[in-house]
Amino acid sequence: MPDILINGQTVHADADQTVLEAALANGIFVPYFCWHPQLSTAGNCRMCLVEVEGRGLDIACNMPVSAGMRVLTDSPEVKAHRKAMLQFITLNHPVDCGICDKAGECTLQDYHYTYNGEPSKSVEPKVRSTKYYNLSNRILLDNERCILCLRCTRFTHEISKSMALGVERRGDVSNIRPVEDRPLGEDPYSDNIIDLCPVGALLSRQFLYKARIWYLEPTPSVCPGCERGCTVQIWHRKDDWRVQTLDPAQNTSIARVTPLENPAVNGPWICNKGRDLARIFERERADQSMLKGKPVELDTAIEAARELIGAARRPVALVSNWASNEELAAFKQYLGTVFTSFVKSDCDPEPGERLADDLLIRPDKNPNTAGARELFGDAPPALPDGTDLVLVWGEGCDFATLPRGARIVFLNAFLRPENGHADVFVPLSIQTERHGHYTNFEGTVSEFRPCFPKPATIADAETLFKALAAPARVHP
Amino acid sequence: MAGRQILMTFPVTATSHTLAEYRARGGYQALEKALRHMTPQQVTQEVTASGLQGRGGASFPMGRKWAVVIPGDGQPHYLVANADEGEPGTFKDRWILENAPHLLLEGMLLAAYALDARHCFIYIRGEFDLPYRRVAAAVEEAYAGGYIGERIIGTGFDCDIIVYRGAGAYVAGEASGLIASLEGKKSYPRNRPPRLTVKGLYQRPTVVNNVESLSNVTGIIAHGAAAFRAVGTEKSPGTRLLSVSGHINRPGVYEVELGYPWRRFIDEDCGGMLGGRALKAVVPGGISSKVLTAADIDGLRLSHEDLWGAGSTLGSGGMIVVAEGTCMVRLLQIMLRFYHHESCGQCTPCRHGTGWMHRIVDRIVAGEGRPEDIERLYYIAKYNDGTTICGLGDAAGYAASGMLDKFRDEFEYCIANKRSRYEGRIECPTS
Repeated sequence: MPDILINGQTVHADADQTVLEAALANGIFVPYFCWHPQLSTAGNCRMCLVEVEGRGLDIACNMPVSAGMRVLTDSPEVKAHRKAMLQFITLNHPVDCGICDKAGECTLQDYHYTYNGEPSKSVEPKVRSTKYYNLSNRILLDNERCILCLRCTRFTHEISKSMALGVERRGDVSNIRPVEDRPLGEDPYSDNIIDLCPVGALLSRQFLYKARIWYLEPTPSVCPGCERGCTVQIWHRKDDWRVQTLDPAQNTSIARVTPLENPAVNGPWICNKGRDLARIFERERADQSMLKGKPVELDTAIEAARELIGAARRPVALVSNWASNEELAAFKQYLGTVFTSFVKSDCDPEPGERLADDLLIRPDKNPNTAGARELFGDAPPALPDGTDLVLVWGEGCDFATLPRGARIVFLNAFLRPENGHADVFVPLSIQTERHGHYTNFEGTVSEFRPCFPKPATIADAETLFKALAAPARVHP
Repeated sequence: MAGRQILMTFPVTATSHTLAEYRARGGYQALEKALRHMTPQQVTQEVTASGLQGRGGASFPMGRKWAVVIPGDGQPHYLVANADEGEPGTFKDRWILENAPHLLLEGMLLAAYALDARHCFIYIRGEFDLPYRRVAAAVEEAYAGGYIGERIIGTGFDCDIIVYRGAGAYVAGEASGLIASLEGKKSYPRNRPPRLTVKGLYQRPTVVNNVESLSNVTGIIAHGAAAFRAVGTEKSPGTRLLSVSGHINRPGVYEVELGYPWRRFIDEDCGGMLGGRALKAVVPGGISSKVLTAADIDGLRLSHEDLWGAGSTLGSGGMIVVAEGTCMVRLLQIMLRFYHHESCGQCTPCRHGTGWMHRIVDRIVAGEGRPEDIERLYYIAKYNDGTTICGLGDAAGYAASGMLDKFRDEFEYCIANKRSRYEGRIECPTS
């Protein structure tokens, strides 16, 4: 463990660390664009220049620590060089923050205010380049904003291994471009490069011009797209900035999804499916309780279900593997002795969907199979003869496979034709409306928090099960 | 003849580059001597003792570079001959490649023996046609003659030499950019550490040497380090091939003993200035070395220490002679256009700095200069110096600051009067 001096302060560093890593690990911030802990060192932005007493300036990200070295991260020389590097970086940058999606969370913007703050020293015309270049059906590229840190190309070479991006031409007309025979659209991790981009060069087509970032806030959540259970941040409108006059659906819709860095599960990445949680959660919702397709009040439906359960002699439950650990425990507690329970797979892989790979994607496309099996075993659903009631919890059950004559109590969140075929249908809340935990395939438990309020006509499974088990009427 | 000669020791004829004539001149005897009577360490020691400095531009002591590579340390080593001669004004390696390719090959084999390199590469500039054909033919001859390949001249030493043609990037002449290109990647120079002698080609210890440097190894081993040191000055032993161009009567490649008087070289060896005009300036070693005025070079010898003392360098040996009446603003514009065009675009200061300086000087030449432009050029040059991955960024800054240091008045004149003092002339009027 060599000790080095940073700004006169003794810092313990690991022998294989760089000065940048040692500084960051000890709470001394050194600005950088191109460096990223998960990527190889490119050392091209030159922003992390620091001074080593007696050796002059060099970049901290490629400087191995050596015992006794004296590093200055804030000397007048270093400050002057940082200013100059920002002058160079903004030389041909359009500085169009006013119409840039990255504004508000842009590293270049932050550094400009922190380390430069001066107008450009240049009077020359800027080098023009392509705007709105189609990298894929998900990502646009603004080459004028690009600072060529090469984080995106390194990501596709080192992490997603799609090799989809490269640099075309050279000098100040260098452009990031897709490689001819490796379309970025086929890279299931491509959207990570949007987060990696320290400026507004790589833009999400979904999120383009959708919201200024300062009107949004992130809520920690878990991606239900597969059994990996990557932790994510679901971005939605801040309560203070709820829209009053425009489409109020904006207040309860997912603006975007980004990874929530988590070394135990997904590191700093998520796959594109995780970015598209709106496609899962913003399908048409069921918000009407029904008895054989006839709309009724929620309480009436719960009462009817309670009576059916009470009257059944051989009830079977098909438990959802999209349910949280809390909901599963509630079911076990209140109804576990009443039902013969099987864990059902709510969701099968879609045609063409990548089944599994070495990075994140797992074959089981449900978030909490492990949590459900822990409580209800891993036997495949097998309905015994004489089953007279089936409680179907969640999606993925074809009613035609259920025994003829058995009554069906169906708990589901989304609008489906079969909702009306059940004897009792109760609409359920979705993940973004509640708090809970999922257990991933490795046994790691991750938490999700509510982003939006639950509508009043929709039941919450945790309280619903208590009501169903109660001898008398209890309001959910 | 500018002093004693080591490399240009034979008359160039239509066949003087062939193996037969090279052997008739005593070729491949140094290789015999080394392989049969010397250990690899002795070869390195001899080169270290000779004080040979790299001829590619940085003048780094060759033996010190070699000494980092430990023969027999259980990993492959590589040797690369840098024949990507692209520094403007420089065409001296071309003379060796065309006229003495076996001298290079023998030097490479000696180096490979010293460095325990099983495979060597010659990275030759893509635009070189005759040099490529000559080198490729020489490699074939040497394979047929048993000088390259397995069991070289009947000893246990194996070595292959592969000729690789570049695709036309100045920055591929930078050692680490060359290695990236050789690996099949875009020619982006690498950050040090690690040095190439620790992790170079395919992440293995690699020595990249200039063609002229390697060619000198042959003589050092043949005649000994002392004989080499007897030529040149104490701090700059040996000779340099200088390619002379510009406003000079006899441009071409000259072998100059280091320490030879500069004015005498220009006035006598090169036949004096074109059209008998006065000397205005000299770019001594490719445009990446700082320009010197006629007054600066008075009394200077052509040696590394004299040039360093004058704030410049012999660099790559590409001497551009500039006569009185030439517009230095235009000259700088041409230099900066080159750097702008050749910047690989990897690191920030060079990617933007070269273009920025180029556009400023373009504007000055066009008669739209502003008084603050000079200060701005200095600013860009200052923050390009030492902040870039490779030397190209530094060099572009040196070109600009060197020119401004020496000819600031011309720039001021051009800005104030919106026209060049010399009508933007860069050709030398002969009448």
